[in-house]
Amino acid sequence: MNFPDLPKLLLGALLCLTALQGAAAPRLPADEREVLERLPIKPGDPVAAELRGLRAAAAAVPPDPAAAVALARRYFELAMSLGDPRYVGYADAALQPWNGAERAPAGILVLRALLRQYRHDFDGALADLASALEIDPRDGDAHAWRAAIFMVRADYPAAARECAALASLGDELLATACSAYVAATTGQARSGYARLIDALARAPGAGQRLWILTRLAEIAWRLGDTAAAERHFRAALALEVSDNFLLEQRRSREVVALLGDWTQSDTLLLRLALAERDLGLPGAQRLGQALGERFAAAAARGERQHLAEEARYQLELRGDAKAALAAAAENWKSQREPRDALVLLQAAQAARDPAAAAPALAWLERSGFEHQGMRRLAAGMR
Amino acid sequence: MRRAWILALALSCGPALAHKPSDSYLALRTGGAVIEGQWDIALRDLEHAIGLDADGDGTITWGELRSRHAEIAAYALARLALSADGRPCRLAAGEQLVDQHSDGAYSVLRFSAHCGAPAQRTLTIGYSLFADLDPTHRGLVRVESAAGTAAGVLGPDRPRLEVPLATASRLRQFLDYGREGVWHIWIGVDHVLFLVSLLLPAVLVYSGRGWAPAPRFAAVFWDVLKVVTAFTVAHSITLSLAALAVLELPSRLVESVIALSVVLAALNNLKPLVLARRWAVAFGFGLVHGFGFASVLADLGLPREALLISLVGFNLGVEAGQLAIVCLFLPAAYLARRSWTYRRLVFTGGSAAIALIAAVWMVERIFDLKLL
Repeated sequence: MNFPDLPKLLLGALLCLTALQGAAAPRLPADEREVLERLPIKPGDPVAAELRGLRAAAAAVPPDPAAAVALARRYFELAMSLGDPRYVGYADAALQPWNGAERAPAGILVLRALLRQYRHDFDGALADLASALEIDPRDGDAHAWRAAIFMVRADYPAAARECAALASLGDELLATACSAYVAATTGQARSGYARLIDALARAPGAGQRLWILTRLAEIAWRLGDTAAAERHFRAALALEVSDNFLLEQRRSREVVALLGDWTQSDTLLLRLALAERDLGLPGAQRLGQALGERFAAAAARGERQHLAEEARYQLELRGDAKAALAAAAENWKSQREPRDALVLLQAAQAARDPAAAAPALAWLERSGFEHQGMRRLAAGMR
Repeated sequence: MRRAWILALALSCGPALAHKPSDSYLALRTGGAVIEGQWDIALRDLEHAIGLDADGDGTITWGELRSRHAEIAAYALARLALSADGRPCRLAAGEQLVDQHSDGAYSVLRFSAHCGAPAQRTLTIGYSLFADLDPTHRGLVRVESAAGTAAGVLGPDRPRLEVPLATASRLRQFLDYGREGVWHIWIGVDHVLFLVSLLLPAVLVYSGRGWAPAPRFAAVFWDVLKVVTAFTVAHSITLSLAALAVLELPSRLVESVIALSVVLAALNNLKPLVLARRWAVAFGFGLVHGFGFASVLADLGLPREALLISLVGFNLGVEAGQLAIVCLFLPAAYLARRSWTYRRLVFTGGSAAIALIAAVWMVERIFDLKLL
């Protein structure tokens, strides 16, 4: 049995046990008016009405691919904006008529790929995208998603090929953003940064500006230019929260203020818990416990998609370096973004097991990724 | 997290670890012809499936939930199929409660499954809850049976689970308990010392002024056989009575009397009061030792459906362990019986030491102290 397996198994078994224990005490509420659950969307909300319309269209017989894609896309957006994976399941249901079908329309395939990558089924997602591109080689979405998945897998040459494909399709902005992002991750942070600044000036949509600003802030942060990073995050802040940056800059109070209402998403729950812990706020323990329960529940389903978060939770909230390292090492098998490398390095250092950090160190060497903190950490481990 | 996924590269922000996907928790307990079940289903999922928020205010109250109990039970139970050894079971809804899991409130549906006869070999679970609404839904199933606890994850891509119920084979169970019996006589020092105290004088004869080596092995053998048989018969009787809960004694009393029995048996070697009828002593105190074995067996737990076979296995294990001690002790003692070492050191010294140790135990057990 190689090294991470045993702790992983033990951890998994422990998590399963605690999850299966479940909530122990079913009860009979005394008050008719007791509120048991709050729904994310009220039946009277415009979104609910919109969904009803989309569902009705998608229920047509025979199934209409365009209506199914519209419904699934809306559900996926809700999953993203509310941080609630139930909507991903509903999106999946909308695409079900084409499951196992010999040939599915390109739109269905791209959306199914999107749902699959959400569940970290990257092989399945790439297969769907390949089929979609066979049907329609000029599908920009499919190329963009392929680029994104190759980035997650740290396959930078393949990602760069997708960026080139985007350029040949004439989607100049997306192609620039794509290649700048690849460049910034592979040792050309400054040139990538300059090209993204250039792209920002031409980006029309808020969504695109948000994405570019966030990448700019990340690159600046990585290069140690915290003033520029903060400027970009502040600009993005109107659109999006930039919690991780504030957390590392030891500005926990601002994180708590930002994220107080976002406890339904676990990525944010983790960061909120870390910030409250730093501040010594009483809620930190409860938040940590809630996170532990959610990881246990995922393990009970046989899913451990959020291993990077789990590693950070074990490392920073539980102080269990061994468990953190097991999760980070397992995570690295499928996810190879800079943040995945960072948590693997930190966990290996905390567990005093430099050998376990080897894949992250090799990645750092190969990619030429520029991140002051990570380079310092790596230098200390070699 | 609000992500600019429109720009597909948003993926690089990392996945949203979010709220939990949809799970239900199904617990089944098999025993007789009726299987008891409890099914925890998220209110969020029920809302999506059948609608619970009657007044449309975005909250689900207990009143709203309770008014839909009949529909919930009908909806859920229509999506669960249980069969015992291939016989389909009829599901009947019971009370409905509320519980909290890590991602919110759940409706707790209790039900019973009537299968005609107890499931002997296999319980089959067919699960299709929310299969049409959410392909990522999972049912986390736990089945408790005499065979232990089995767990499984069911969902649209894995709608069937077969849970083997056959307990470990009878022979296996018999041997397992037999091994426990052997083990417990070997580590049960007080039982061993009692037996040794009775066996020590078996290779000697008392002549009124002192102990002399026994002249013939046959006499020694019969003497030992009588003692061991009496001890065995006696503790088998009380072990069975106690294990079947026919007769129970407080364990402190039992343990104290066991210690006393060792003291008396050892002292009897130093100043003999009972000689020819040592088998009777073995029988009398054997009754008490049986209660001691029974407490060990109670800790092990007796499987209800294989009570007798486990009990007999354990008892025979105890006898086998005891026989092994006799077989080791007797030849050695017989050969050494003429020596000074045996008569002074082993017999007299050993008996005195046993009496002393057992006396300390007795005080400890009577007064619930810890001296040694």
